Amino acid sequence: MFSRLLSRLGLFAAPLFALVAAGCSKADLTVRQSTLDPKGPVAQMQYDVFMDTVWLVVVLFVLVGGLLVYAVVRFRSRPGETAAPIVEEGHGNPLVEIGLITASIGALVFIAVPTLSAIWYTDDVPAESVPKSKLSAWYGQPLDKAVAEQVLEIDVIGKQWWFRFEYPQLGLTNDAKHSVPNEMVIPKGVAVRINLRSEDVIHSFWIPKIAGKVDLMPGRKNRMWIQADQVGHYYGQCAEFCGDSHAYMLFRVEVLEPADFAKWVAAQKADAAPVAAGSKAEQGKNLFAAKSCVMCHNVGGHFGAGAFGPDLTHLASRKSLAGAWLDNRDPKAQRALEQTSPLGTEASVPVDRATFKANLIKWIGSSGIAAGADGQPTKDVKPGNRMHYYKMFNVAGLRETHQKLTADELDALAEYLLTLK
Amino acid sequence: MSHDAHHAPVASKLELAPERSDLGLYRPDRTRGLLDWLTTVDHKKIGVLYGAFAMLYFLIGGLEALAIRTQLARPDQTFVTARMYNQLFTMHGTTMIFLGVMPLSAAFFNFLVPLQIGARDVAFPRLNAFSLWAFVFGAFVLNASWLFEFGHLAGWFDGFAWHQALTYTDFAPANGWFSYAPLSGTFGQANAALQAPRFTGVGTDFWIIGIQILGVASLAASFNFICTIINMRAKGMTMMRLPVFTWMTLVTSFLIILAFPAITVALIELMFDRQFGANFFNPSAGGQPVLWQHLFWIFGHPEVYILVLPAMGIVSEILPTFSGKALFGYPIIVFSGAVIGFLGFAVWSHHMFTTGLGPVPTAAFALLTMAIAVPTGVKIFNWLGTIWGGRIRFTPPMVLALGFIWMFMCGGFSGVMHSAAPADSQQQDSYFVIAHFHYVLLGGVLLGLMAGLYFWFPKIFGRMPNATVAYVASGLVILGFNLAFGPMHYLGLAGQPRRTHTYHAGNGWEDWNFVATVGAFILGIGVFMAFANLVYTAFKGPKCSSDPWDGRTLEWSLPSPVPEYNFAQSPVVSARDAFTEHKHGTKRIAYEADGGEAGVHMPSQSWMPMLAAGGFLFIGFGMPMMAMGIPHAGWIVVSGVAVLFAGIWFWALEGPGGYMLKTPAVSPTPAGTPAASTSAH
Repeated sequence: MFSRLLSRLGLFAAPLFALVAAGCSKADLTVRQSTLDPKGPVAQMQYDVFMDTVWLVVVLFVLVGGLLVYAVVRFRSRPGETAAPIVEEGHGNPLVEIGLITASIGALVFIAVPTLSAIWYTDDVPAESVPKSKLSAWYGQPLDKAVAEQVLEIDVIGKQWWFRFEYPQLGLTNDAKHSVPNEMVIPKGVAVRINLRSEDVIHSFWIPKIAGKVDLMPGRKNRMWIQADQVGHYYGQCAEFCGDSHAYMLFRVEVLEPADFAKWVAAQKADAAPVAAGSKAEQGKNLFAAKSCVMCHNVGGHFGAGAFGPDLTHLASRKSLAGAWLDNRDPKAQRALEQTSPLGTEASVPVDRATFKANLIKWIGSSGIAAGADGQPTKDVKPGNRMHYYKMFNVAGLRETHQKLTADELDALAEYLLTLK
Repeated sequence: MSHDAHHAPVASKLELAPERSDLGLYRPDRTRGLLDWLTTVDHKKIGVLYGAFAMLYFLIGGLEALAIRTQLARPDQTFVTARMYNQLFTMHGTTMIFLGVMPLSAAFFNFLVPLQIGARDVAFPRLNAFSLWAFVFGAFVLNASWLFEFGHLAGWFDGFAWHQALTYTDFAPANGWFSYAPLSGTFGQANAALQAPRFTGVGTDFWIIGIQILGVASLAASFNFICTIINMRAKGMTMMRLPVFTWMTLVTSFLIILAFPAITVALIELMFDRQFGANFFNPSAGGQPVLWQHLFWIFGHPEVYILVLPAMGIVSEILPTFSGKALFGYPIIVFSGAVIGFLGFAVWSHHMFTTGLGPVPTAAFALLTMAIAVPTGVKIFNWLGTIWGGRIRFTPPMVLALGFIWMFMCGGFSGVMHSAAPADSQQQDSYFVIAHFHYVLLGGVLLGLMAGLYFWFPKIFGRMPNATVAYVASGLVILGFNLAFGPMHYLGLAGQPRRTHTYHAGNGWEDWNFVATVGAFILGIGVFMAFANLVYTAFKGPKCSSDPWDGRTLEWSLPSPVPEYNFAQSPVVSARDAFTEHKHGTKRIAYEADGGEAGVHMPSQSWMPMLAAGGFLFIGFGMPMMAMGIPHAGWIVVSGVAVLFAGIWFWALEGPGGYMLKTPAVSPTPAGTPAASTSAH
């Protein structure tokens, strides 16, 4: 009986231990969206609290689990014992009971104290972080003193199924035709306050290596603060179920040295360069207007009507497309770099033009609105997205026929979009 | 036939003369076979029906889970579409909670509570039948959404004007079991027909009305059990002598009647938003989406304990039986069960740590959530105390019960990790949460319920399930379960969010997702084997004695299967664990001088509970059809209300009825004597 019991236990326990052991390799703990590889003070604080709970739980698991296994083995019935049960009215042992309850409460205090301090720490930017803000330097010219001493604020607006980022203090807003879709950029080592809003359903803003998530509630303004202490390319994702294409609602965060951040702000305010006359790109630019892309999308310097869809002024500089679902970098080169770079998964290769163009054709061509490179409608990249399902959200009163594109037109449109650096 | 006929006692109800109710209709008392099952008011048959439907829905929910895991086995899979995936996880969660675990718990409540307290039936037998059929029809409405979905995908509706006018064409719910507004609700302004634009299709309307009907079923059943336990205990069965399972039934019933009103209100508000132009949760009209979350979780968190407490009660019966020792700290186990139920209403916002509550409420709910770990820990310590110093006999129910403690403990530990709100902001809505609540609900509750099935099956059917198959099935369940959900702790910490129908390669999630899928299939095979073993046993299994486990509570003193009158004579108990005391101790069970040739009073069977519940079928189909825009569908709802009221009206007017059934001759000792029980081993 005993050996059978042990082998039965071993049958269950062996794969579990193998799993746990295999799950603990270094590479697995630093994957792109790992919460176990914090790169800023907020994520670090959350990680520290998590580790407190881990230690408590491991100790309890060994103690209680050990006792359970011991009791099951020690008090198993042996052949030849009387079958008659022990008759007594079990009231338990008050001293044991009270002792265990007190010990449980003590164990919980062990995690309650760091929990409480972390709740307040992660709630808003700590006072000592505020003076480090250099808004005037990033803005490019001196700001009003009251504004200049503020902490950098970024408005995050969630929509089905992409994020829009605005920097109101730096003049990068949707109203100013300078909003930043899907790829947020922040300076390194500086606290940033994030204001979270939603324009439709509930979304949740989560960059695991920089901070845990806070929801974007329609009709409310939520906030959080973040800080990244290492430059690099970070991966985030919407973490609240938000409809058909929830899984496709990703985003990226680029952390730059503060000096580079100032350059980036300046570049964001620049208009798109004019396209060469008679080029394929010019043909694409005309299609952009004729096929009503212009109704939703802004291209600074070219078209200024659209405010509903992502701003495309600097589309060609972005490393991702379609709510960061499609990656515009060469996947092989990126994988190789992640293996070798000291930055690990935060290292990033530049945009690859061929990959980018294929993505554009796939993305715009999906949903039967336009033909793909082979003349056939490509598979829907993001089911339900507003670019195709105008029927649901008849944004501009469009008719389907106005949006049909041939393969050649699609190619020209992609060429045009690729000029928008 | 005269009204007095039923006063003559008969040996079998088939010998009854045909009797008319006060309405002039024949009562279905003399039926057998299918008609008997449809009109029964016998708590044991109702319990068996609950169990059969629950097991059916467990299998359906399990198939949905396997489809989900197949889709996630590899990155960028296209086994199902995004929408179908969303429908699958919505229906998987809803099915497992409302159509799997809750009715299976209700099956045990029904079968066991009257037997454990020494009663002949529940307080309101026809209301009990009404609960059952309301559950059956509500479950059918919810799942009928799949039929509409398949009809839509097959193009059956394409020619209809109402179908062409639909903006959203999801017919099975795709809003998640939590159904957060405004995704499940409306936005913008309502038009003249009181219709505002929505984010989801009529699937959500199916979900709303389906849950509403199931709520009626649960509420009616809970009132019934509370009345039964408070009022119908045998002489000497004081509250502190109640078997722990009955205690947990009582606590669970109170939780249901306090928690379900919150979801009822929320569902009505959501229904009014969607169908009648109200703005409770519509942010563009000043509604508050976060209100839905508060209403949902103040139901939803007690719901967790509604699911867990019955399993805890079952385990608290099994451990003493096979340890040959009384439950350690009975008063504290009962008290901690009640404290869990009470505190369960004070922790709902820990599901909402990321919604921007602010630091003070976050801190309060974090501390309260930690506090609820104390009574839960107390239960685990007391179970440990129960087997400590005992003589543990290994049987399928005991192995499953020990598995329950182990898995539930793991789930409790990850729950404590969630209570640390800052850490939870990384875990919320990630696979870590999925791992946590599956350890509680599957490793915990399902193992507990399976233990209960294997423990009481010999009592229900008088047949013994095959132990070897049971051991193999239990092993597969525990192994598959840990393979499926153990790696999800890692996946969540590695940043994989829940409710996403696919993921890219390159995030480091590929391998463990594949392992989880393999585990899910092993688990599925194990559960199917365990259930198949039971179904086979119910019809063909070897007969067994009435007390095969040397049981401790009153139900084991009865013959198996239990006769329809339960106790030939009402018992008078003088101790906790009355039957153990009777067999091995000094305090014997006495019997009242009722029954015998004079007979015991049995309630009449009736069609009316089923008729009344049938009204829900019309309402359940009518409301979503209204939302689809099918012409005149509103009249289906109106006729459903009419059927419901007619059923209740006739039910009231048909009179209580009843007949007298003879019981075996008075005997000094009950069926399971000490000699009989020891020879069974």
